[in-house]
Amino acid sequence: MLKRLLLLGVVSGLLAGIASLIYQKVYSTSLGVDFSGIVKPVGIVISCVIGCLLAALGYGLLDKWLKSKAEIVFNFIFVILSFASIVGAFAMKLPLETTSPELFPGLVVPMHFFPALAWLTLRPLFFNSNKQAV
Amino acid sequence: MNRNILSLATLLLLAAVSAFAGPANWQISAKCNVTFTGGGEVGGIFKTLKGTIAFDEQNPAASNIDLTIEVASVNTGNGLMNNHLKSAEWLDAAKFPAIRFTSKKIVKAGATYQVTGDLEIHGVKKEVTLPFTFQASGAGGTFASKFSVGRGDFHIGKPGGEVDEQIKLDIKVPVVKK
Repeated sequence: MLKRLLLLGVVSGLLAGIASLIYQKVYSTSLGVDFSGIVKPVGIVISCVIGCLLAALGYGLLDKWLKSKAEIVFNFIFVILSFASIVGAFAMKLPLETTSPELFPGLVVPMHFFPALAWLTLRPLFFNSNKQAV
Repeated sequence: MNRNILSLATLLLLAAVSAFAGPANWQISAKCNVTFTGGGEVGGIFKTLKGTIAFDEQNPAASNIDLTIEVASVNTGNGLMNNHLKSAEWLDAAKFPAIRFTSKKIVKAGATYQVTGDLEIHGVKKEVTLPFTFQASGAGGTFASKFSVGRGDFHIGKPGGEVDEQIKLDIKVPVVKK
């Protein structure tokens, strides 16, 4: 179970990372702003993978404690934490030479939801509704 | 006889021109730096500074400085803070788009200079005396000044809060002779 959860964490983290990189490219090209010096591609992928691995561990713990209610509680917590994390994006102070810092949250806020989206998308491929391996 | 009169007239003309020639005009470089700090996380830069500087180290009394800072060019590194700073509660960039300083008198004070003039921020004009230095280098040089402005004096923001009453400014203006 834990091994499969960790695998789900890594794969969904990588998917979220790839989605974030694609979004960063589209955002930068369409708006003509470049924040790649602040949010580096490697950092984005690592953050997504770490986030999803933590989610996997959290799911494992909840599953032990709450059994059948673990999934719904986990989904709520994951989405609420994703929402809460956007505060950091709005509060972040960029280097003073950075132009258009007001466009920065538009880049990173959607990225904060990609790990949860990737997890919820891929989870059925790893576990069926009875949490048994497919 | 006529040649002597012509030579004398030329000399007089040259003397008159040199006597009335004003101080050198300096072109402000785009690399000028206007930073401000107001305690804690409060701080940033103004990116756009324009104006005219006529300055002679040997004759500061004849010099004059006229500078304009574009309020909308403020950058704190945070978009929300930038918008807040440009709002009506603080600098009100829509109504008062520029911070202006116009000198009235410049005097040498030891190794530095003191400029007295009108500083206009947020629609409030006050006479202030600011210290500055000038470092010549080749055909150019750098004007530098560090001073504080009481934001209450210019009705900027509300008293108290996280922003200090005294806002520290650090200005560096590289120039080249026109």
